[in-house]
Amino acid sequence: MVATLIGKELKAIVQSPKFIGTFAVCAVLMFLSVYVGIREYQASVRQFETAGRLTEQRMQQQSNWFSVTSRTHRAPNPLQIFVSGLSYDIGRFSEISAEEGVKLRHSVYADDPIFAVFRFIDFAFIVQLVLSLFAILFTYDAVCGEREGGTLRLVLANAVPRAHYIFAKCAGAWLGLVVPMCVPIILSVLLVVVFNVPLDGGQWAKLLTLIGGSLLFFTFFIVAGVFISTLTRRPTVSFLLALMVWITFVLVIPRAGVLAAGQLVTVPSVAEIEGRRDGFAKAEWAKFYEQMAERWHDRNAAAEPDSTQEMDDEQMWNRMEEEQRARKEVEQTIDDFESKLAADLRRSREAQERLGLSLGRFSPAAAYQLATMSLAGTGIELKSRYEDAFNAYRERFKQFVEKKQAEDGMAGGIMITVSSEGGFNIQSSREGPGLDFSELPRYESPRTTYAAALVPAVIDFGLLAFYTILAFAGAFYRFIRYDVR
Amino acid sequence: MNEESTAQEQPMLEAAALTKRYEDGVLAVDNVSFTVMPGQIFAMLGGNGAGKTTTINLFLNFLEPTTGETRINGVVTHREPLKAKQHIAFVSENVMLYPNFTAIQNLDFFARLGGRTEYSKTDYRDVLLRVGLAEDVHHKRLKGFSKGMRQKCGIAIAMLKNAPAILLDEPTAGLDPQAGYDFIKLLGALRDEGKAILMSTHDIFRAREIADIIAIMNRGRLIMQRNAAELAGEDLEQLYLQYMAGSNSSPENNQPGAGPCSKQ
Repeated sequence: MVATLIGKELKAIVQSPKFIGTFAVCAVLMFLSVYVGIREYQASVRQFETAGRLTEQRMQQQSNWFSVTSRTHRAPNPLQIFVSGLSYDIGRFSEISAEEGVKLRHSVYADDPIFAVFRFIDFAFIVQLVLSLFAILFTYDAVCGEREGGTLRLVLANAVPRAHYIFAKCAGAWLGLVVPMCVPIILSVLLVVVFNVPLDGGQWAKLLTLIGGSLLFFTFFIVAGVFISTLTRRPTVSFLLALMVWITFVLVIPRAGVLAAGQLVTVPSVAEIEGRRDGFAKAEWAKFYEQMAERWHDRNAAAEPDSTQEMDDEQMWNRMEEEQRARKEVEQTIDDFESKLAADLRRSREAQERLGLSLGRFSPAAAYQLATMSLAGTGIELKSRYEDAFNAYRERFKQFVEKKQAEDGMAGGIMITVSSEGGFNIQSSREGPGLDFSELPRYESPRTTYAAALVPAVIDFGLLAFYTILAFAGAFYRFIRYDVR
Repeated sequence: MNEESTAQEQPMLEAAALTKRYEDGVLAVDNVSFTVMPGQIFAMLGGNGAGKTTTINLFLNFLEPTTGETRINGVVTHREPLKAKQHIAFVSENVMLYPNFTAIQNLDFFARLGGRTEYSKTDYRDVLLRVGLAEDVHHKRLKGFSKGMRQKCGIAIAMLKNAPAILLDEPTAGLDPQAGYDFIKLLGALRDEGKAILMSTHDIFRAREIADIIAIMNRGRLIMQRNAAELAGEDLEQLYLQYMAGSNSSPENNQPGAGPCSKQ
C-alpha cells in the first residue's frame, strides 16, 4: 500500500513538465557554481603562492633587524568552492611586525567591489535559496491540490489509512526530488576530482557531511511544503502561504535576528573605541608631562648653584633614565587600556553574535548556513581564527627579530666605532652580508579537524532535523483531521 | 433481480436513522434510513443541497454521522472505516484522475490501492474496452481526455476493484446522450453481476431507466422511496416536482411504497 502510494508520488513528480525545467536549472546552476568555484580557488592558490614568494624576496632585501617586517597570507581553503562564506569578505593578509598589531587587509571584495555587487553563487547558496524554493514549488499542493482535483476522495475511498497516505506523500516527494538532485551533486563533486583540487581525508569527510546536511535542509522544505498543503483547501492559498513561509525562513528571520541582536546588545564602533583610546592616551600623557615639569621644577629649585659639571651629568643621566622609566610606564598603561578595550569589544561583539545567531537559528535556512560555514571553515570564526594564528606567529616573529637584534647590535642599521688602531669607523649593515632568515619561524595556516568543525555543525543539523520532524508531525496531525470533501 | 434470494441476504448498504448536522448548525441529513441489497440499484434524486452527496460522504467516512450510522456489508463505516472501504468502490461526479498519468497507469494505481495486485496490462486493456474506451487512448495521458472518457476510466477503476458495493455521486452529470446511455448500460451489467449500487443523481430519466428503487431527498430528508414496480406508469418528473414543492414528509414516507402519490 505505502509502496504503491510512494511509487505514484515518484511518477507524478518525475512525469510533471515542471520537473524537467527545474531539475535542469538546478543542475546547470550547480555545475557552473562548482566550476567557477574551482577556478576561483585555483586563482587564489596561485595568488597565495606568488604573494608568499614576494614576501620572502622583500624580507631578503631588508638591511637590518630593526626594520624587518613580514607579511602572512590567509591560505585558500578548497571547501570555499562549495561554501564561500566570508572568504571573500575577510582580508587576505596581515603585516607582521614588532610595532604594529595584526590586521587583516585587502579582502577580495574590498579590492574588486564589483564582485561584491554580484556575489559568487556557491553550492550552499543554491541549496539555501534555489532548492528550498524548488521543494516548495513541488509540494505546496501535495494534499490540497489532490483535494481540489478530486483524486483525494478517490484514493481515500479505498482502505488507505491516512497516516500511510501522508507518510507516502512525504517519502514519495523526498525520493522524487532528492534522488534526482543527487545526480548533479555527485557530478559536481566529481569536477573537484577532475580538476585536482587537493582535499585531504578530513576535508572529504566535511564535504560529505555538508552534502548530507544539504539534503536534510532540502527535506525540511519538502516536508514543510506538504505541511502547508494540509493547512489550506485551495492550492492558490497554499502557494501564497508557502511563499510567505519561504520568505520568512530564508530571508526575514536570519536578518531580523542579527538586527534585533544589534539593538539589544550594543557594541561600540571602531571610531568610538579609537576615540576612547586616544582620550585616555592624551590624558595619561598630559599627566605625565605635568608631573615631569613639576619634577624638573623641584629639582632645579633644589639644585646647588656651585655643583660640579660631573655631578650635573650624572644627575642628568639618572633623571633621563627615570623619565624613560616613567614614559615606559605610561606606554604600558596605555597598552593595557587598549588591550582591555579590545577585549571588551571582542566580548560584546561575541555576545551580539551569539544572540544574533541564536535568534537566526529559528530559521532552518540560518541553521543550515551556519552549519555549512562551520564545516567548511568559512564562517564568522574565520576572522578570529586567522587573527589568533597571525598573533601567535607575530609573537614568535618578534622573539626571533629581538634575538637577531641583540646578536647584531646595530641599532638603526649603523654602527660607529672609534679605536686607536682603526680610528673613526662607520659601518652600515648594507655593506655587510645579507640578513640570515634561516632560523625564521615558519608560519603554519590554522587547520580545523573534522571533529572540531563538526561540533558546532551538529547543533545546527540537529535543529534542522528537529524542524523537519516538527513539520512532519504538523502535516500528520493536520491530515488526520483534513476535510477531504 | 431475484426477490426471494434478496430477502434472505443482508443489505449490502444500509443507512440507519442517519443524521448529520454540521458545525455551523446546518442539518444536512435528517434521520434518513434505507437499504440497498446486492443486485439492486438505488437512485437518490434531489436538488442541490438536498443531502445526497453528504449521505455518500457518510458512507465513505469522509464525515462522521451526528447520530445514526451507515453500514457496508454489515460493517459500521465510522467505527471500522478501513474494513468497510474494502467492500466499496466509488465513482465521483466529475472523475478527475491523475492528468499526467495514462489511463493504464491510473487504473494500475487505483487497482493496487484497492488491494488488486494480480492484474496484468491485458486485464486493464480488457476493462477499458468493456467500458467503451478505444484502445488507441489507453496509453495517452488523461489531461487530454473528455469528461465522458474520464468517467469511463472511473467506472473501469470501480470494476477493477470488484467490490460488492458501488457508490456513484452524480455519475451522469455533464455526459452527452451517447456516453450517458453507455454508462447506464454498464450499470445494468454491474447490477447483473450482483453489485449493490447507490447512486445520487439529478437525472430523473436515467434513474427511472435503470434504478430498482428511487428515492427523493429534500433538505436532508428522504421524502419518498419507491421501487420500480410501484413507479410503473407514473410520471416521475411530475412526481418529483410535486414532492419538491410540497415536501411535507413524515417518517412513514421513508419506506418503499410510501409517499403522497401512493396515498392518493
